[in-house]
Amino acid sequence: MVRKLFVLGLDSMPPKVLYEGMDNNSFSYIKTLVEESARYLMRSCYPPITVPAWMVMFTGKTPGELGIYGFRHRKPGDFNYYIVNSKYIKQETLWSIASKKGLKVGVYGVPPTYPPKPLNGFMVTDFTTPNREKPYTFPPWLKRELERTVGPTIFDITYRSENKDKVASDLFHMLENHQRQVLYLATQKQWEVFLYVEIAVDRAHHAFWKYFDKEHPRYTEHPHYSNVIPRLYRKIDQWFEELHKKLPKDAVIVIVSDHGIKAMKGAFAINQWLIDNDYLKLKVNKDQLKPGTELKENLIDWEHTIAWAWGGYYSRVFINLKGREKKGVVELKYYEDTINQLRKDIEKIRGENGEKWKNEVYRPSELYPEVRGDPPDLMVYLDDLWWRAAGTIGWSSNYLPENDRGPDDAVHDWIGVFSIYDPEGTISSGDKGMIDITHIKDTLSEIVFS
Amino acid sequence: MSEKVKVEISKELYEKAKKFIEEQGGFNNVEELIEFLLKEILEEEEETPLSEEDEEKVKERLRSLGYI
Repeated sequence: MVRKLFVLGLDSMPPKVLYEGMDNNSFSYIKTLVEESARYLMRSCYPPITVPAWMVMFTGKTPGELGIYGFRHRKPGDFNYYIVNSKYIKQETLWSIASKKGLKVGVYGVPPTYPPKPLNGFMVTDFTTPNREKPYTFPPWLKRELERTVGPTIFDITYRSENKDKVASDLFHMLENHQRQVLYLATQKQWEVFLYVEIAVDRAHHAFWKYFDKEHPRYTEHPHYSNVIPRLYRKIDQWFEELHKKLPKDAVIVIVSDHGIKAMKGAFAINQWLIDNDYLKLKVNKDQLKPGTELKENLIDWEHTIAWAWGGYYSRVFINLKGREKKGVVELKYYEDTINQLRKDIEKIRGENGEKWKNEVYRPSELYPEVRGDPPDLMVYLDDLWWRAAGTIGWSSNYLPENDRGPDDAVHDWIGVFSIYDPEGTISSGDKGMIDITHIKDTLSEIVFS
Repeated sequence: MSEKVKVEISKELYEKAKKFIEEQGGFNNVEELIEFLLKEILEEEEETPLSEEDEEKVKERLRSLGYI
């Protein structure tokens, strides 16, 4: 008889909350398990973002091998971008391997699993699902069963809003919806492996971190908002206790995140910096643009542009390479020199008051054993992720106190959590140091397939 | 009528399917039930590539989430 493995994925859960007491005891039940668990600090991937991090974890492949460097990508020569979905994942996942070995698997909310793929078990897709009219389950008829039994699936909320009361209400509504569905699936269906990723944790962190983290540069004590994150943790804790008591006593419980979280110091307008440093030229005067203007293809003076960039938790920079881009000007023979110079210049970027930043700039080939898909020329991490990159232009300063996409209190951090609770003691408990995200699949495989 | 091929399934599952049809009706035999179920899965699967409209919806959501 195979022992059951239940994986509770808490998107963006940092060690300081789960291991170091920042939860203010909201995870009272979960922590009793964590104390008895093998506890790892989980080193996320480059980039430490939901997509590709969960798939890196469950395939054991780097973003380069997956060919997935974030949500969006661009084909060489095309200024526009496309969004990846489950069809872009060509590697075997933990659940596809388990399925082939005849194990029953449940997958809930793992990004990106839309559109759902067949497996030996059941799947409910994640927040990248366009809407609930789409077929978002496997088998397809599970959708009707779920909606009839526990109500329509809520895939996500809009959290970048000033209406924090609505954000909080939507957040708890979504969490409860997921919990009811997972409880139903976990107790009514057959499975040996169940993987559940809860995105509400990440949304709560982004929307309410400054009300929760006393070290946040904009920390604000608020009678309601300061309670949102602890309440969310408690809801997860209470729900998990209820579920855990319904699982077989020897079930292995894994609690894991895809990356950590920390206070956002601000957003750096990377394209404006490229303009200031003569890498990017516009057809118009940038000072006449409205703040937050998207960098559109027709705004760029391509004949005098060397590079442009995308914003996000990290920045992707593209060289206007001749022969690859529509109006490329950088000759192939100067590509290496251009990359090296740009990299040096980005590494030297400092804070608004001249403070030194820890910037990391990589070529994809330096990070991964294989570089597939449509990678950028450079991957840029500003000030150890404390600053995110803003791709928009028209700002009066390159240093924006807020995110250019709406209110956001947090950025991602490199370190997440990975804990294994084995009630039979086959896996010894205690602090186990660091594990790379690419090694988690093999660790879970050992539990499931041995 | 399209050409038919033979597929083997476990006897246990076959008996379950037969009992299901006897009790629930809806199908004349196990072959019909299997054909229906496979069609359901495979036809849904074929329809799922993201249309431009779907992709735009996802892009808009990801923009509002700050991922892009």
